[in-house]
Amino acid sequence: MENTNNNTGGNISTNVKLPKQTHDIFAIMARGHFISSNGTKDGMNRLYDVINNPENFDNLQAYFNVIRYNIERGNNFFYFAKIDEANSLIEKKLESFEKYIDIIDLFASMDNKITIGSRFRPSEIAEECNANVRLKQKLQKIPLYRSETLSNKVREICDLMTRDSFLEREDEESETYKVLDSYTYLMDIVNSIAIYEDTGNSGTEPAGGIIYN
Amino acid sequence: MGLQLNVKELLTQLYYNRNVIEYLFGNRDSITVTELLSRDDITPEQYQKLISYEVLYEYQNIVSVNDSVIAMFEDFMEIGEVTPGFISDYLNELNRHIKYYSEGKENRFLRSIKKYLKRINTAITREIIKLQKNVDDTYKNESNYRIKLQKLDDYRTKRDTIIEFIRKAEDVIEETRLLFNITNDLELYSIVASLKSGLIENLDFLIEIQTDITDYINKIQFQLDVYKKVQQLKEVKDRGELHYRTNFREVVQLINPIGFNNHKTPRTKIPIDFLYTDDGYMLCGRVAEKYKITRLMARRMADKMAGNFKDVQIENSLRLDVSALVDKFLSQQKHNLFEFLVAYKFPKAVGTITFEERITLFVEIVLEYEKNFEFKYRLGYHDYEVNEIKKRLGYTIILPKKEPKKKETKKATA
Repeated sequence: MENTNNNTGGNISTNVKLPKQTHDIFAIMARGHFISSNGTKDGMNRLYDVINNPENFDNLQAYFNVIRYNIERGNNFFYFAKIDEANSLIEKKLESFEKYIDIIDLFASMDNKITIGSRFRPSEIAEECNANVRLKQKLQKIPLYRSETLSNKVREICDLMTRDSFLEREDEESETYKVLDSYTYLMDIVNSIAIYEDTGNSGTEPAGGIIYN
Repeated sequence: MGLQLNVKELLTQLYYNRNVIEYLFGNRDSITVTELLSRDDITPEQYQKLISYEVLYEYQNIVSVNDSVIAMFEDFMEIGEVTPGFISDYLNELNRHIKYYSEGKENRFLRSIKKYLKRINTAITREIIKLQKNVDDTYKNESNYRIKLQKLDDYRTKRDTIIEFIRKAEDVIEETRLLFNITNDLELYSIVASLKSGLIENLDFLIEIQTDITDYINKIQFQLDVYKKVQQLKEVKDRGELHYRTNFREVVQLINPIGFNNHKTPRTKIPIDFLYTDDGYMLCGRVAEKYKITRLMARRMADKMAGNFKDVQIENSLRLDVSALVDKFLSQQKHNLFEFLVAYKFPKAVGTITFEERITLFVEIVLEYEKNFEFKYRLGYHDYEVNEIKKRLGYTIILPKKEPKKKETKKATA
């Protein structure tokens, strides 16, 4: 199943008209990356438009479904999920999303909140954290390993989020990052987590418990 | 006051400095004089000339293109800020000329009426396109969320203004129906008809834009709510209750992007046939460079055969012998490698092998076949004479490895 050939040859493409960017789309999404409508690197916004075209979407979906990839649509972004495959590695996922809660919390606590479309430089964040004890603590407590200085730590966070395609390094020289539409995915996850009201017997509350927000 | 320019001169200036103008237009209000002059395509003289023509302005060391030029570009390309005021101006002009016409019924007023009707139609369409672009752009690229909300709200107001103008234009058409009917002017009829349908169409667009704006504002509100939520979650997490007081685990369990499920990118093997193509050759070259495989890097198109290829052949046969030589060495126990090589009687076809060449051979063999050897970490000494001066050479004692070894066949061909 796995060794599918990713060129657009083969039977299906002779019947169905696939966009010529099919390979590029596959190459990005099969790496586990998101394609966001406001991404500019490697013509990402154009790829987004290609997938977003309803006719192309149906053709691509059918094509990738054959090799058991499913294109999932979010708000202005796309990504791949595997069909009929148990989601594994719960521990690792828990760990990485705990880290994301830390990071998003940091972003949310900034004076100038970082959100979709925001542009920022790591040094700006480091500066603000340096000036604000609460932020500084938050940043220092995020479990990352190699960084000693605040600005290196922010840089590492940016690297991590760029690798997961939530950020894009827009300008190498000035080190400007931009928040991509795929960031909505993290927001959705946060939004779907329910916090149970403390009723004394914490931990045993069923999923229908009272949610406060 | 700048020097007077006519259309032709202005166009010439713009064309002659088109690179500079384009650059400044693309980087509005951010280029300093020094930055501009450091470019190759403008000299200080040219720059002064443009300043004196008032094509460029300099303010606090920042250079910008004349606003009217920028406005012209923006108008033409349908970008820039939304300016519904134009529509209002045109409507006023239209009303004025309608008034004149109802008094005088002169053709020249009718011409103006036609002109403004057309202008209103294009202006409304243009403003709506700009509005759409700006709303999108604000939502996607404005980084400060407070300003973002304000801007979106402003666009909402502008949208309302445009709707108001559309209504006004509709009223004007309605009121002047009788007046226009008696003109019996076919061109006017068709202009009015297309304006009418344009207005209806544009109203639809605006309603759509309204949904977009509301949608965007809601999304920003959603983001703010989520940010509140994440701060709560963080508190819960810091108290160590994340796994017990929330359904974090269940939610994360359902996360399906392949990036978070340690799903490896499918890897495909390269077809052998591909490696024989030119592209395949390039690919091999790159791989070789990356892993520093000199043997692969060195193998390329053969050069022209040299005139003395017979001599070269002897050297080749010498190299061909190396693996056989090593095999021979490995199968004996009497000598260490150095002694073996010094004493070895090479076949006559190879010619005489000098002492120096034997040392080179020793080093080559050690580097190439080191896995097959056992290195004794002590030195042996070899005495010899060069020009009647006695010399002594230290060498590492190398013996064949004791355990059964795999034969190296890599160096079968040179």
